Amino acid sequence: MKRSTLAALVIGGAAGFVVMRRGLHSRRVVSRPGGLRLHRGLAAIQLVLRGGARYAGSAPRLFTAAGENRQRLRNDLALQTAEDVASTLGAMKGVLMKLGQMASYVDEGLPPEVRRTLGRLQDSVPPMSAELAAGVIEEEFGQPPDQLFARWDPEPIAAASIGQVHRAITHDGRAVAVKVQYPGIAETIEADLGNVALLRRMLRIIAPGQDVDALLAELRERIAEELDYEREAENQRLFAAFYDGHPTIGVPKIVDELSTQRVVTSDLADGTRFAELTGWSRHEQDLAAETIYRFVFRSLYELRAFNGDPHPGNYLFHGGGRVTFLDFGLVKHFSPDELLPLMNMARFLCVENDPDAFRRSLEDAGFLRPGAPLDTELIVDHLAVFYDTIRRPGELTITGDYASRVVRRFFDVRSPIAPYVQVPRSYVILQRINLGVFALLGELTATADWRAIAEEIWPFVQAPPSTPMGEAEAGWLAGRPHRAETAA
Amino acid sequence: MTADPYAAAVGLVERSAAAYASSVPEHPADDGFFGPGSVTWKLGADLSGPVGGLRSLMIQALHPLAMAGVDQHSHWRTDPAGRLAATYAYVTTVSFGDRAAAEQVSARVRRVHEHVRGVDTVTGQPYAASDPALLLWVHAALVDSTLVAARLFGTPPTAAEADQYVAEMVVAAELVGVPAAMVPASTARLDDYMASVRPRLQCTQAARESMAYLLDQAGLDEDIGEIWRYVRDGAVASLPDWARQLYGYADPGPLTGARRTEIRQALGVMDTVYLGEPGVLEARQRLALRTRAARGA
Repeated sequence: MKRSTLAALVIGGAAGFVVMRRGLHSRRVVSRPGGLRLHRGLAAIQLVLRGGARYAGSAPRLFTAAGENRQRLRNDLALQTAEDVASTLGAMKGVLMKLGQMASYVDEGLPPEVRRTLGRLQDSVPPMSAELAAGVIEEEFGQPPDQLFARWDPEPIAAASIGQVHRAITHDGRAVAVKVQYPGIAETIEADLGNVALLRRMLRIIAPGQDVDALLAELRERIAEELDYEREAENQRLFAAFYDGHPTIGVPKIVDELSTQRVVTSDLADGTRFAELTGWSRHEQDLAAETIYRFVFRSLYELRAFNGDPHPGNYLFHGGGRVTFLDFGLVKHFSPDELLPLMNMARFLCVENDPDAFRRSLEDAGFLRPGAPLDTELIVDHLAVFYDTIRRPGELTITGDYASRVVRRFFDVRSPIAPYVQVPRSYVILQRINLGVFALLGELTATADWRAIAEEIWPFVQAPPSTPMGEAEAGWLAGRPHRAETAA
Repeated sequence: MTADPYAAAVGLVERSAAAYASSVPEHPADDGFFGPGSVTWKLGADLSGPVGGLRSLMIQALHPLAMAGVDQHSHWRTDPAGRLAATYAYVTTVSFGDRAAAEQVSARVRRVHEHVRGVDTVTGQPYAASDPALLLWVHAALVDSTLVAARLFGTPPTAAEADQYVAEMVVAAELVGVPAAMVPASTARLDDYMASVRPRLQCTQAARESMAYLLDQAGLDEDIGEIWRYVRDGAVASLPDWARQLYGYADPGPLTGARRTEIRQALGVMDTVYLGEPGVLEARQRLALRTRAARGA
């Protein structure tokens, strides 16, 4: 089966809206009458007055708060030696765990037993003991954490990918989050990634019917990157600098002198977790969703970077639509040549109504085999569903119902276009990220005029602000130094 | 494969996992015959387990009388997974269960063995499963294979640990009816014993068929079958030359470091699958916590 579910996922996700909801409830797409203008105006003023994403309080308060939100980790089973790490995450298990994390965003496509198995594997990894984590710090910086920092909490506050996060206060009084990598894990995983034959077998089991070689190549690259915390710090610096001063988007700043290949230190952030967000008002949830949406697509179109891990644990919410984005371990950068066809697909289908040009963009990007014996109308028919939420203006709720419909379309192997569709390698990872992001939006049953927001962000439209948040963002945009060249 | 006399090994992983999970007690009355800190517990958690288990079956089957007992009396051909899972349940209960549980399963095995007797059609010799000499062979093959597999593909035990393991396991042989005086209690004694039995070993047709079935696993999904082949290659590579020659397997050549790594990786995948079964992770955590508590005490 050459045509993969990925193909459609990627096409849909790239510029359109892929929605997935894991819950069983389905809600109807409801169009709401236009928002409350007066209320919106006030909100815009508030956002501007708050002047950028400074949600941080004092260092001691943050330090304490981050401890209160501690994830429940199995410290009683903590890994005590590098050998413990090797027996827990060696012999392909670390690789499988990462594959599982990545694959979890396409969980509709995973056989249930595979999903269960990979989930269990993640549960099976305990944190490092205080001594083991301190040992990594000492190897990296030449001094133990209680000397390196003014204050150091030996108990981790969160599990991170192949590492864990500790809270600390620096000698100059900054509250920071210190992500420490499991010792020896990079070497183990790199060695395991070398067994291509076995990986190919596993992917065939984990993701049946998909283009295994493309998936494998991309995943190997992404995992290798994720092991390199210096690269992660680099990505986080890029995003933090880009969104500096943004009214609702916050990215914790990296502390350069306390970051290495196995340790990455950034400002400590605190806020409400995704799971608690559903208890907030409808309006607040919509604002949070709008910020996530703006972040994802502005990053794609302007930074040409898709930020990594849309895991619900990687967001902190502060009210008024303000969101802190954590974890830049998985960032996909696109060349202008890779980005252009994605942009053109949205442009020709949604803005210029030019189906032939839409088809050519699909072919240029390698999604659709050139010269496929298919009517363009048929192609549009089958792919337009992925752009449903941005093809027409007006408020729309992203629901689980719409999500399932889209997913069913991807998995429809009897589709007449199926034999001619595939995913070029550089877009494989988009699907994972998109699905994760839109799963979150679906989880919130978020409502907005997505098309209007897209028009603000699309470089080929650059429409004026359509929401209070857009207005606040316009102020930030205007204040940015020489931006023009990034919107290439 | 042509007309296969064996049923497919349906649900082997599931049934083995269930056996393991229930053999590790949630509220043990005592530490059983081994307990935290024992080498038995340590090796019982080793990644090399599947290779050790498969090698053990391959060695055990070379004793014509042991093979005849299995072939003529058990459900081995009609329900191979059930037979393997039952043996596995017995081994794990003796290893991790409290004393009462270990004695109970051992008594059951002894009762079953009472009825397993007959005449081997190949050698014409009478046999009885309760014969301490046969039981000792089965015991020794398991102990030897566990050590060999861990040395090649797992966390290698030190020489002292290996000796301790052989000594610890004497009680397991006693539980099924072998007088302690007969049972090797060091690796040197174990090697001597294995060498002493060698002249009586041969590859009967039943052994050949059983192993062909185990090694091929015809019923497996193609991709899982591919992973199983690593385990099979590991087991064959771990056999002593004489055993490989009896079976007529080609010499796989020296086991390179790269090949060992590949086999370990496949074992890691298998372990992950096993870990995904209900109760396995919790059982391992129970054992780990007890081991830590004992270490700290």
